[in-house]
Amino acid sequence: FGPCRVEGVVLSELWEAFWAAKSTVQNQDDITSVRLLKPQILQDVSDAESCYLVHSLLKFYLNTVFKNYHSKIAKFKTLKSFSSLANNFLVIASKLQPSKDKDMLSISESAHRRFMLFCRAFKQMDTEAALVKAFGEVDILLTWMQKFYQL
Amino acid sequence: VAVLPAPQNLTVLSTNMKHLLMWNPVAQPMETVFYSVEYQGEFESLYMSHVWIPSSQCSPTSGLACDITDDVIATVPYNFRVRATLGSRTSAWSTLEHPFNRNSTVLTAPRMEVTEHGLHLVIKLEDLGPQFEFRVVYWRREPGTMEHIKVVKNGDIPVHLETMEPGAVYCVKAQALVKLIGRHSAFSQTQCVEMPEESLPLAL
Repeated sequence: FGPCRVEGVVLSELWEAFWAAKSTVQNQDDITSVRLLKPQILQDVSDAESCYLVHSLLKFYLNTVFKNYHSKIAKFKTLKSFSSLANNFLVIASKLQPSKDKDMLSISESAHRRFMLFCRAFKQMDTEAALVKAFGEVDILLTWMQKFYQL
Repeated sequence: VAVLPAPQNLTVLSTNMKHLLMWNPVAQPMETVFYSVEYQGEFESLYMSHVWIPSSQCSPTSGLACDITDDVIATVPYNFRVRATLGSRTSAWSTLEHPFNRNSTVLTAPRMEVTEHGLHLVIKLEDLGPQFEFRVVYWRREPGTMEHIKVVKNGDIPVHLETMEPGAVYCVKAQALVKLIGRHSAFSQTQCVEMPEESLPLAL
């Protein structure tokens, strides 16, 4: 992801995990008019900016989405796929080291503004619905990550 | 009713990204004891430590080992626990003393077959699974020779290395690479192949 190097994750394993949970997940999402990862959040992200943005998004997914969504998963017996997704997100997030240099300030602020768009959209929804929606949009996130990630 | 003792001495044996969880038997004469295996990755232990996931292969099993390769699907520390069941009686959980991370797997030098097909030097490596690539180093055995390197993406398929010259000796060695954990094995033993001298046409 630009200057950030991540190894030890095979994106195809993440896709496999997501597809395994997908049918269960997206059947619960009946608000089709809303999208959290709007185009303006992920479009035209520079390499340098991508490290900041993916780090923020993955942290949010770990601390908010996966953490709170888990009880739904337990009911539908897709625990293994969910665990694969969450633990691989943890690997990526832990290996990303966004630079804290002052000359990167404007880039990190731009990434932060994009991330806040996502957070605002998430908070405007009912929490349960937002969790389902965010989990269902993991494919949008993976598609975007794939552009930056070559193994 | 006597309490069923918990299985002891849980260990993980991991070689070439194949991981086996093992434990000592719970002795119950003339009875078949079953065992259940559960795991949690780092995410579960950090965010929801009460959550344990049944192993895909061994919940339950009457064996004393469980192939956990398909359960360990991220390069993070995994906790494992096992308990025994006999009829209606169930033991306490016994937990692996140290979490297991697949980046600690033992990587062995790959087996290889080096052959000559006509003028061609050909190598065939053992198939270790989709996570493995191989670095093959080969050279012509003569003073001042240069080593050549070729990365072979998967095993079990013959790969052409070089077109050989009659009378020359060519040597090959290989090591296994696993990008997923950023590690490689030791090199295999070097194998050399001699290309026969050209046979002179029979005088008529």
